[in-house]
Amino acid sequence: MDLQLNEDQLAVADAIDKLAEDFSSSPVDFHGFALVSPELDAALEEGGYFEIAAVPEMGAVSAAASTTRLAQLPYTAEVALSMLVRPHLDIELPRPFGVIENGRPGRFVPQAKTLIIIDGDNVGIAHPQEGDVEALPESLFAYPMGKLVGTPEVKQLDAETAKTVKTWMRVALAAEVAGLMQAALDSTVEHVSVRKQFGRPIGTFQALRHRLAECAVLTGGVRWLALKAAFSGDAGDAALAALHAQDSATRLIYDMHQMSGAMGMTLEMDLHLWTYRMKALLSELGGRGGQSQVVADECFADA
Amino acid sequence: MDFNWTEEQAAFRAQIREVLARTLPENWEHIAHGPASKEQTVFAKKICADLAEAGLLVPHWPSEWGGRDADPWEAFILAEEMWMAGEPRGGQYMNVNWIGPILMLFGSELQKETHIMPMAKGQTLWCQGFSEPESGSDLASLRTRAVKNGDTYTINGQKIWTSYAGDADTCFLLARTSDGKNGISIFLVPMDTPGITVRDIPSIIGEGDIHEVFFDDVQVHEKWRLGEEGQAWEIIGQVLSLERVGIPRFSLASKTLKDAVSLLKKEGRFTGAAIDQAAKAHAACEAARWYSYFIIDKRAKKIQAGPEASVGRFSTVICERLVSEFVVEHVPEAISGVHPMLLAHHQRGIVAGVASGAAEIQLNIIATQFLELPREPR
Repeated sequence: MDLQLNEDQLAVADAIDKLAEDFSSSPVDFHGFALVSPELDAALEEGGYFEIAAVPEMGAVSAAASTTRLAQLPYTAEVALSMLVRPHLDIELPRPFGVIENGRPGRFVPQAKTLIIIDGDNVGIAHPQEGDVEALPESLFAYPMGKLVGTPEVKQLDAETAKTVKTWMRVALAAEVAGLMQAALDSTVEHVSVRKQFGRPIGTFQALRHRLAECAVLTGGVRWLALKAAFSGDAGDAALAALHAQDSATRLIYDMHQMSGAMGMTLEMDLHLWTYRMKALLSELGGRGGQSQVVADECFADA
Repeated sequence: MDFNWTEEQAAFRAQIREVLARTLPENWEHIAHGPASKEQTVFAKKICADLAEAGLLVPHWPSEWGGRDADPWEAFILAEEMWMAGEPRGGQYMNVNWIGPILMLFGSELQKETHIMPMAKGQTLWCQGFSEPESGSDLASLRTRAVKNGDTYTINGQKIWTSYAGDADTCFLLARTSDGKNGISIFLVPMDTPGITVRDIPSIIGEGDIHEVFFDDVQVHEKWRLGEEGQAWEIIGQVLSLERVGIPRFSLASKTLKDAVSLLKKEGRFTGAAIDQAAKAHAACEAARWYSYFIIDKRAKKIQAGPEASVGRFSTVICERLVSEFVVEHVPEAISGVHPMLLAHHQRGIVAGVASGAAEIQLNIIATQFLELPREPR
């Protein structure tokens, strides 16, 4: 057992930190939802970061930790699926990835070169052509959202590969949510530390402090379950991580908005960038009910 | 990072399981209904001696005190296996976790010579004289007083909620020698000292578990004061950091959940909401497990964990609650005693946020030291 990053993993973490610096604050004139950075995407591509899960010294743990770190940025790019799902498939697939689940609009669909198409137990892969997808710029979800309007050719995956895809999607989801939770928490801690009412910062009131502390506990738990699942690649571990992520985020999103008050409702504070990414992830892979069923099948199989 | 146990760690765990399987009596499920029950306390003396013999009582202690300097991981694996088995060491787990180590750090030669080896041999039980009727979370307000006259202190006051006091040989007692937080001192007091009266307080968590302890003109020689006068607060800080990730509660909670699911499956009742709640509780147990392991890993690498230990403790409180609630809702017959080990877990689980300090104090620590929120006005 060794729960500190090894030297190679630390080097990756440092490099990701450095790379993230340029993307750490949102532009003052941005008042929207999907703050996408093609430059961030290009920098990650150029640095070979989408391949680190396949490098034995670093592995999926390093990819998960990087996903968590990058999810804390106000800018987004299609990081999680490319870092954690793509390297675990035998087939070579072009990125970025988008997800269409049960016909609903999904994240990164407008620019996706590969679509993961989930229909119940079936998982298929499609490479959309022009006119197959339509962007949904009005969506409140803070990812570039889009829907399928055409009928691209869908290659159905065999059951084993489908399970692999879903498992690593769950790991990716948990790793991303861990970062989103952290960023939303940090943003709210900053707000309650400066916002004064009744003559003192509202963060001095125990009614808020305890809730913030509980959210910090949940955030730490999601991070560790995501790392554990990335290490093992086990379907049960992945479902536990995704379940804890969706369950914890549900609570944290409410609390962070509540404590940020009207300020958190505006598009001037960045809070919505993280909370409305989390909200997009809450329903993925069947939501909490879907993860629970997998936990029952995988973790309680011999109970 | 490596989330797997080493071969040595796995072998150590297997050894503990083998010894427990050989040593626990057949009616263990019925004895193990509370760590402080009479039967369990009597049994603990026997099994702790056996464990000491097998090198499984204090392996993480230094060799001069009967250990072999095993690392914090082995100490934690041992704690997990013991807690999962229903804590056959009873109250002696405190000796192993913190009383012994604290005496090694702060004890005089006489105190060490007198007290440490009996702990290492599994022959003695201690109780912890901390809480008072008016001083729980606000421990620094305690009023039990030790007044010095020549070389002897006269102690007067009352302790409450004291676990194991009924059978304990020695009390790790906090008493006031002057005013304020830095006016508290620690005394190692034999429980048969004249003037000490113990009264059992019946409780939900099993017989013999909590007590009131009265001190009426109890005479204690200064050689039994641990550390300097007024040093208690500093020493207690170390005690609490050992205790916060002391009991691996997630281990028994996790096992209890699996046992409960197994019962439900046999009866075809593991469906619908039971699945959702079991999965959620399982995730909470695993979150507590990995956060706790993260703290142990730091301890093993001699990296200060600080307020992260409070995050670990609180995540454990969450998992205990979810598992307890799951059993109450889905296997209610357990609370009527139909499944003794599930009941035993219930009685241990419900104190998770109360024993060794209210969980809300951990939230205060997390808010102030981990999140670095501005402090509350005093």
